[in-house]
Amino acid sequence: MGKDECKTMLDALNKVTACYRHLVIALGSTSDSQNLREELKKTRTKAQELAVANRTKLTSLLKDKGISKDDRAEYERLWVLFTSSVELLEVDMKRSLEIGQDFPLKVPRRHLIQTGMTGSTTTVAARAMSVQNMKYEADANIDTVDLKELETEIAQVDQMMEEMELKVQVAPWTVEAKQEAGAELKSTVSVGNSSVGIISICEEEPKETVEGETGLMKVFAGVIFTAVLLIAGILGYLVINL
Amino acid sequence: MTIKTLSQHGVQRQQMPCLTKMERMIISMQDPDMGIKLRNQRLLITVIPHAMTGADIFEWLIKKFSISDEEALHIGQIFVKYGYIYPLKEPRNLILKVDNSPYRFQTPYYWMSTRWPASELDYAIYLAKKNIRKQGELIEYEKECYNALHKRINHTWDFVVMQAREQLRASKQRRKADRIVLECQEQAYWLVNRPPPGTLDNIDHGPERRTTNTRVQLNADFYKKEIEHNRISLARNRVKSSICLESYVKYCEQYQPHDPIMQGCLPSNPWITDDIMFWNMNCETVSVPTKLRVERWSFSFMELLSDPVGRKEFLTYLEKEFSAENLCFWQACEDVRHGETSKIPGKVDEVYKQFLAPGASRWVNIDSKTMEKTLEGFKRPHRFVLDDAQMHIYFLMKKDSYPRYLKSDLYKNLLARAVVPQETKKSVLPFIHRQRHSSPSPALATQAAEDDGKTKNSNSFKSNSGTASRL
Repeated sequence: MGKDECKTMLDALNKVTACYRHLVIALGSTSDSQNLREELKKTRTKAQELAVANRTKLTSLLKDKGISKDDRAEYERLWVLFTSSVELLEVDMKRSLEIGQDFPLKVPRRHLIQTGMTGSTTTVAARAMSVQNMKYEADANIDTVDLKELETEIAQVDQMMEEMELKVQVAPWTVEAKQEAGAELKSTVSVGNSSVGIISICEEEPKETVEGETGLMKVFAGVIFTAVLLIAGILGYLVINL
Repeated sequence: MTIKTLSQHGVQRQQMPCLTKMERMIISMQDPDMGIKLRNQRLLITVIPHAMTGADIFEWLIKKFSISDEEALHIGQIFVKYGYIYPLKEPRNLILKVDNSPYRFQTPYYWMSTRWPASELDYAIYLAKKNIRKQGELIEYEKECYNALHKRINHTWDFVVMQAREQLRASKQRRKADRIVLECQEQAYWLVNRPPPGTLDNIDHGPERRTTNTRVQLNADFYKKEIEHNRISLARNRVKSSICLESYVKYCEQYQPHDPIMQGCLPSNPWITDDIMFWNMNCETVSVPTKLRVERWSFSFMELLSDPVGRKEFLTYLEKEFSAENLCFWQACEDVRHGETSKIPGKVDEVYKQFLAPGASRWVNIDSKTMEKTLEGFKRPHRFVLDDAQMHIYFLMKKDSYPRYLKSDLYKNLLARAVVPQETKKSVLPFIHRQRHSSPSPALATQAAEDDGKTKNSNSFKSNSGTASRL
């Protein structure tokens, strides 16, 4: 069915956009490197391909006059999601151009910002490209060469968005979201729990300890304390009686 | 059709200069030899590098720029305020403490930028992510923002949820230390850009101006216009501030005795003493003006013309000199400029017949070029069609009649006759309750004045035309 196809494609685009943003955040910091630039380039290309595919599919569906009202509402909703995704992508591309220009890699004195992030972003890129392992095959001067390509790609995306605006007239205020507020809490048990304990470091508690582990430790301490008390009680009783 | 959040906000195409300077300083702090010495932050199991203490930052600033303690502290505060450096221990308290409290640099993506203001969509995604992570336990103001955003960008809320989930999944691919840093960075970014209620908004953007409606096409035409605009701006007349300020001081000195607030007004300030004599003595139709008022006419020609009594006096003078038609013409032009649009063609016709037509009863002397231009404009009369002619006559009067008027006997006699009101004696008992009578409605007063003025004007017109015909 057209709708399901659209949805899967949109999900894919969404995933790649999220990964791209993640990679752009790492630009200019200490996790920046040759590999990161290449990952950015590959993710970007994939995102663009997906965007074009999505656009063709959705425009053809929306142009079809013979679809029912519900279907049309659904496609309009998907269209709005698609355009938001592309906007996000466009902004991230422009920012990556800016930051990429400010932080060239092949200079004698590299001034990457020491942000505390030192790991690599290979796994994120692998997720974006839907591959097991990433292969790196770019030249040494990818950071400068890539920027030029990036500029042309940004222009292309801009143009695509303008065309989209002109061809498809979807009024955003007529689209209603399917999810209500707080919907994200419902189905994402797996995403939250494992990182809850660790993440609370940065939060309100000024302690530099991990919350989940403190809880455990408290329980341990309580158990040991009661055990000691018990033993002391028993010993005392024995002493008194003997 | 989509809502383009960025282009609607009149985004500046350049980063603010102060922010560029701050960025440069941050980059110089990264220098492996001359930069700040960094330490490791030890959490229970993980070790995260690249932390520094507030004291480190403070000392580095003093050493690098050879500045005083206060200045270094101030600059350090600015860095933290604008989000280039964020505190690790008390993230909501964006100040620089010059002791062992740890700080860290913010990643360039999250730097303060006027080119890329923090958008609502991003904030919504951040709140959704936080919601997921904390299982719905958001802070009060965040909950409110969340609900407000849900209403405002409802059309793309599904995208927000989808993107939030995906971003969380993407960050799970990193190792733990990096994940912690990512969380802290993002939180610091949003604390700076969406400060909780009650804290100072460090980045005061001012009210939003949604002036740019459409995308600007960056094509040849646009650049040509920009070049032209810049060329004109360069060629603009500039006055040195020393000269400007001198004339400003002179102006203030000249007008100070006339300012009721600075100098006090005689007889007394009506708002304080309930005595309206001040207004009565300075109203438009008084027969004997106050001395200050008459002196003011000598400051500039515009002062004379803007005072109705002054205008009347000037008219009497001009009648003696047989050049009254200039002032009448000027007045008629003013009437066209400020009057009703529907009456403009009629008025312009009148003006033409009375003043500009060859052989008119009150012909004014305008040079041929201006006359031609004005006559051209008469084909399509609009509000400002008589502007050039009016300007010409204005300058004629200013250069010629006005100086002579100021030297004339008429003016000097008036000055001598002018009244200097006595300051009212303050009553012995300052808090005696004065008899308060209700003042007449201002609407009636202005109506009466208008009617008065109109009849006077029409009378003067008629009488003038009479004298001219006799000549």
